[in-house]
Amino acid sequence: MLNSLLMLGKMQFRQYSIYKSNFYLFTLNRIVEIVVYIFVWQEIYKETGEAGGFTIAQMITYYILVFTLSSLATWGVNEEMSYSIKNGKINKELINPLSYFQYYFGINLGELAFALLVGIATFILCSIFWSVSLPANIINLILFVIVIILGIPITFFLQMIVGITGFYTNSIWGMQILRKSVISIFSGIIAPITLFPNWFQSLANILPFQELIYTPINIWLGQMPLKEAIFIIIKQIIWGIILYIIAKKFFNHAIKKITINGG
Amino acid sequence: MSIIEVKDLVKTYKIIEKEDGLRGYVKNLIKPKYKEFTAVNKINFNIKKGELVGYIGENGAGKSTTIKMLTGILTPTSGKVIVDGIEPYKKRIENNKKIGAVFGQKTQLWWDLPVIESFRLIKQMYKIPEGEYRKNLKNFTEILELSDLLEKQVKNLSLGQKMRCEIAATFLHNPQIVYLDEPTIGLDVFVKENIRQFIKNVNKQKNTTVILTTHDLKDIEDVCERIILLDKGNIIYDGEKQKFKDIYGKSAIAEFIVENKTSLIKNNINIRELKIIEETDTNLKVKFSHTETTIINIVEEISKYCKIIDIHMKEAELEDILKEIYKGAHTNVK
Repeated sequence: MLNSLLMLGKMQFRQYSIYKSNFYLFTLNRIVEIVVYIFVWQEIYKETGEAGGFTIAQMITYYILVFTLSSLATWGVNEEMSYSIKNGKINKELINPLSYFQYYFGINLGELAFALLVGIATFILCSIFWSVSLPANIINLILFVIVIILGIPITFFLQMIVGITGFYTNSIWGMQILRKSVISIFSGIIAPITLFPNWFQSLANILPFQELIYTPINIWLGQMPLKEAIFIIIKQIIWGIILYIIAKKFFNHAIKKITINGG
Repeated sequence: MSIIEVKDLVKTYKIIEKEDGLRGYVKNLIKPKYKEFTAVNKINFNIKKGELVGYIGENGAGKSTTIKMLTGILTPTSGKVIVDGIEPYKKRIENNKKIGAVFGQKTQLWWDLPVIESFRLIKQMYKIPEGEYRKNLKNFTEILELSDLLEKQVKNLSLGQKMRCEIAATFLHNPQIVYLDEPTIGLDVFVKENIRQFIKNVNKQKNTTVILTTHDLKDIEDVCERIILLDKGNIIYDGEKQKFKDIYGKSAIAEFIVENKTSLIKNNINIRELKIIEETDTNLKVKFSHTETTIINIVEEISKYCKIIDIHMKEAELEDILKEIYKGAHTNVK
């Protein structure tokens, strides 16, 4: 089964890489976003000198890392699922010898591999123009990677839940926008969580999204006491399980209800 | 032993009744109105291993809905489907390993990649042994003429080429049962012929059970031994193709080329169950029933009023028979 998933991932990745412009444009897009945020924050720092416990140098690194990671946090299988439901390709996906979840997890691997490639290119290009601080030490780097990897099931099952609503409504466009905005706000893409009001920070602490961007960056910057790491990992695993159960139950319900277009 | 058993199978859909205009839209958003629609109404049939079954009916008769329940994609509202000992919608994956399916022009091939890569993925997913994969690939490539297509990107293929590849992909893992839901739709005669040949071939070699829905009755004429005819969710015929023709194909059409006509034949001729379809000065087209009269009889009658130069006879084909059934005889067939 693992081989099938990897092969699906590889094929999805190759579908992307056939259009080389995809890669350049996505990377360019990320860099433009970074430049805009950095300009805004440079102005703010001129006035205040400090924000949310970050120095300007740290803030620049923060945004470079945000957009290095943001594709990993927001990309995935929703477009593909939505397209399949609309044009009836889903019939084929439901008679695969792999389960619907396994099939899409394979596709997801390909999407993430491409997101990673764009992320790495963004990071390398940015470190030419700005001085980016490197991880505080090797333990931080390892922890950074672990937290990112544990985020994959969370974003995946969330996307499955959003995608499965399409079984009922035939269109997940609205749900998908909601998913993306929730992730951008609560993961710290828009601004570091510490800049938001206290109630928002408590909410973000409960939700699994800050571990997609904000927490790993803090680990990278060495601003997170390593003692907390174990709690973060436990929290991610629990959320992964919760979302898996919801997605699975939801799918089992949906599959009994679906009508499927055409014929 | 039946490989497929269908017992009292029912599927009803809820459809949202949409009202027009902005008011209707808002109303719909708040409290949608549902209407029940029965797509498949308590049908029963059994299919034996290795049978070639044509599952036919008009658009909306419930063919695809049945196929989707047989494949396990849809769960029946009531009743049961048992495929090789299991209920497919309950043990989806177990069932999926044993079946293959084509749904119209929807393809499982990867759009931007060469065809062969999709085949390799299938090999991986179904765990097809290397030797078996090679053997099938070689065999299929020969019959379906795929050798020039395998290295091409799917997006560059024509519909006919794509469907040939899709059919090959569907049979690659030696499925016990294959459901073909309109596999020949929109294809030219040569590709259709090619695909029919392929289906018959695989059936003979591997005893694959095939259930075929189609609107091209030549597919059925050519491939199937048995017909299940569906109308508005009910089965109205289930049996051998030849028997179906014998029972319902009583009528034939005869076309006469004539000259020196003395009067309008329409007004004079009187034979039971004979209908004049077309009458001009040189041409006469009639439809008659084999059980009521013979062609000799008709020739005798007609020659009273004109000189017959030539006669063409056309026996009813499946298509004509079905047209008759759909047209009026919905109720009195059974």
